[in-house]
Amino acid sequence: MNPLSSQIASIVGTSYLIDDLADYPAYAVQGRIPILVVAPGSVEELAHVVAAAHAAGMAVIPRGGGTMQAWGRPPAGDFMIVQTTRLSRVRIYEPDDLTISVEAGMTMQDLDALLAVHGQMLPLDVPLPARSTIGGVLSTAMDGPRRLGYGTSRDLLIGVQVVEATGRSSKAGGMVVKNVSGFDMMKLYTGSLGSLAIIVSANFKLLPRPRAAATIACTFNTPADAFALVAAIHASQLTPVAVEYLQKDEGGRMKDEASMSAVISLIPHPSSFILCVRAEGLPAAVERHIRDVAEMAERAGSSRMSVLRDEDHMAVWAAINDLPQTFSVADDELLLRLGCLPSDLERALADASALASRQGIALAVAARALSGIAYLRVRGGDEGLRHQFHADLLARWPQLAILAGPPALMAEAPIWGASVPNLALMQRIKQEFDPDNRLNPGRYVV
Amino acid sequence: MDRTNLVEELRRIVGPRGVVDDPHALMTYDADGCVMDTGIPQVVVLPTSTAQVSGVVRLAARYGLPVVPRGAGTGLTGGATAMFGGIVISTARMDKVLEVDTRNGRVLCQPGVINFDLSQQLKPYGYQFAPDPSSQKACTVGGNIANNSGGPHCLKYGITASHVYGVELVLGDGTVLWSGDGSPAGPGYDLTGVIVGSEGTIGLVTAVWLKITRLPEAVRVVLALFPDIAGASTAVSQVIASGLLPSALEMMDRLVIKAVNDMYKLGLPDSAGAALLIEVDGVEDGLDDLLNDVTAMCWRNGAIDVRPARTLAEQNQVWAARKNAFGAMGRLSPTYYLVDTVVPRTRLPYTMEQVGRISREYDLPIANVFHAGDGNLHPIILFDRRAKGQNQRALEAATSVMHVSIEQGGVISGEHGIGVEKQEYMTLLFSTDDLAAMAGLHQSFDPQDVFNPGKIFPKGRGCGELAALRKAGVAWATLK
Ligand SMILES: Cc1cc2nc3c(=O)[nH]c(=O)nc-3n(C[C@H](O)[C@H](O)[C@H](O)COP(=O)(O)OP(=O)(O)OC[C@H]3O[C@@H](n4cnc5c(N)ncnc54)[C@H](O)[C@@H]3O)c2cc1C
Repeated sequence: MNPLSSQIASIVGTSYLIDDLADYPAYAVQGRIPILVVAPGSVEELAHVVAAAHAAGMAVIPRGGGTMQAWGRPPAGDFMIVQTTRLSRVRIYEPDDLTISVEAGMTMQDLDALLAVHGQMLPLDVPLPARSTIGGVLSTAMDGPRRLGYGTSRDLLIGVQVVEATGRSSKAGGMVVKNVSGFDMMKLYTGSLGSLAIIVSANFKLLPRPRAAATIACTFNTPADAFALVAAIHASQLTPVAVEYLQKDEGGRMKDEASMSAVISLIPHPSSFILCVRAEGLPAAVERHIRDVAEMAERAGSSRMSVLRDEDHMAVWAAINDLPQTFSVADDELLLRLGCLPSDLERALADASALASRQGIALAVAARALSGIAYLRVRGGDEGLRHQFHADLLARWPQLAILAGPPALMAEAPIWGASVPNLALMQRIKQEFDPDNRLNPGRYVV
Repeated sequence: MDRTNLVEELRRIVGPRGVVDDPHALMTYDADGCVMDTGIPQVVVLPTSTAQVSGVVRLAARYGLPVVPRGAGTGLTGGATAMFGGIVISTARMDKVLEVDTRNGRVLCQPGVINFDLSQQLKPYGYQFAPDPSSQKACTVGGNIANNSGGPHCLKYGITASHVYGVELVLGDGTVLWSGDGSPAGPGYDLTGVIVGSEGTIGLVTAVWLKITRLPEAVRVVLALFPDIAGASTAVSQVIASGLLPSALEMMDRLVIKAVNDMYKLGLPDSAGAALLIEVDGVEDGLDDLLNDVTAMCWRNGAIDVRPARTLAEQNQVWAARKNAFGAMGRLSPTYYLVDTVVPRTRLPYTMEQVGRISREYDLPIANVFHAGDGNLHPIILFDRRAKGQNQRALEAATSVMHVSIEQGGVISGEHGIGVEKQEYMTLLFSTDDLAAMAGLHQSFDPQDVFNPGKIFPKGRGCGELAALRKAGVAWATLK
């Protein structure tokens, strides 16, 4: 053991430290092997570990369930992994307050199970909830279809504790649903991809689980018809909690695309273009949504409309939520995220489809139709064609991120989009919080 | 400093009508809604464009003067007060709504647009700007953004932070940035998120893309009357716990009822010790069931009457009474001190009991009108500034409320902010390390401390000092 390893072993105990990584390829980050992996058992241990790494000049990559380590550039230089999964305790949960404080290593699924007992939820809908942790979800700011109805982690996070690059710990916010005591540091850490501090615990505002819920799945012959329904819903006073546009690969080239098949298999008479509308709330209100959306769908030219309830309803959304996962991505695959104004989404997706079919590569889409976010899965063709697809689409739609792809591409391509506005200010922030560039160095925009 | 030259140069930037330098006129800018803290600026400037603001900020830097952004001056913590003099930049003339884009659910406007006017302008499109502070007829969206303001409907729709897509910000060196435009998932840190709520201490917001919200199809309002505030508070906590989601749950106590009863001809009985304003909204279907469930809960907690506001006129009347309740305080006392704290919602009944105790202990009447559904209390301490010792007692009573709130797991401000009024209380809630992280964020935006210096952070531990200590890696434990 080198001195840093032994120092860290003395903090966490040898059983929570791996420094012979030959046996653990799963800990590689985009093909690069860490010097060591350490799993602290408490916030205090984690802080000591980070302080030791800082003193030794070692870079740190925080890791939760590892489901989104594909994001960002490959790490530059030597690094150690600080795994948060042992930090999985509930700190404060008074169900009647509709708030909770939990440690960052808890998985979304465990949290959901706990909240379900009390008829509550944190509707973030991230992929692979059995593995993805609170910390990972916050640092990627990964969204879910129900952002339309309930917002994203940005709207639901009310307090946070972090360990900074030097091992110093600080907190912000609180356990109340409204709070302007001091700067909103929650916003700073959310979506910072672990480049400013390691999130060790988080407080959330919760929601009651709805009394009733249903899915209206509408299939279409053309994207234009599907988007006509999107526009009609937007113009109405209905309040669906999710409106998800799905497009499967037309040529049937994406045969082993498990997640999309899982969605499709749950929808009677699927076609290539599907709109899934999720309604939640009072029983009468849900029925009203079913009636109105069905009528609008017919007017928009839907070829088929079906209503899913209970298990089918839950299963279809679990499958939809998983569509943008970056945990198992094939060698010939890219996962892209396109952001645009909602009114431009139809055009952006038409561009993507046209490019894909011209280049003969497979494309599957899951889009938050009213929020202007689309996740594109691109497969097949040769590497050059896929990269060309990305470059061509980026030329038209500058907010195009590569969330997962081969390490060489992740290292070279403009993975965060055509440009990063306000980069100088972001660099100043990074400089303030992590002047020695120890946290996820090189992986995010700065 | 050569004031004549300064004024001359300012006039060249904003035109003769955009500069206030008459000493008497400047007096009217000596405070915001918090009259306990005052400071008179050297000069007040009223620009009309971003370029003008940028020009003024550059000039201020050259003269080494602080810049204090000011909207309508309704803030309650001294946020818009020039505590150290300097240049006040008022957004009063930047009051244009520039573009309504319903297809993308957003509106582009200048910061001086009045909150209420914005929603009025959006109404014909079937939209509203959801954050609705009680001061909405006067306060500006720039002030709302700076303070991350709340309002009765934030219970369902969320605070200002959830309704801002991006802002145009003038920084201390006069440079201008845009933090977003309503298309999601821009790369990098959430600058919009940290600018909202920064109380005008890191830059001046000169334009903004706000999220707009579709007006609900149907709205129901009822007023539930209780013999006392304890029963009403318990009803609130139960409604929240049961998972019913009203769009507003607002409380008024006996003193407030007395003050607004005559003014708004509400005809409420003297026996009412508390009134709970309940609103539900959404699609028509199921709304009555929801309302029935909520009112049933009120009856179970000892309500003495539940009065529906049937017509729109009746609804407006009830809301007007609630929103103008602070104004009605003048009927009860010559001066009042409004405290803004938050507690977890199950702690509301106990906390309200403690507010009653504090009132007795300091021998000052306390009226209560507040956002009960959020656990956000607003004890209004009634006192007479001229009476001997009352000023001091009012301050002590307010401090007691803050201590009780923190003890109950709450915080020192829910929506009014810290400003100068609460800066010394920040250490009750935050450690030096916590404050240093905030200072680090502040320094990344405004390293020269140009904007609104000497606010938010405790006086003894200025922002620059905190950030410097942090950089130097001083042993933190020893400082605490
Ligand atoms: C009767 C009454 C009722 C109230 N009710 C509520 C309520 O229900 N909810 C609530 O949250 N608040 C309430 N308030 C407090 C206050 O109205 C809000 O904080 C409001 O948002 C302030 O807006 P303003 O335009 O008056 O800002 P000002 O008071 O002028 O300024 C407030 C802060 O914002 C900064 N600022 C203003 N404009 C800009 C800009 N363009 N760029 C950067 N910084 C800027 C100032 O420097 C200052 O720090 C109430 C106040 C009163 C008097």
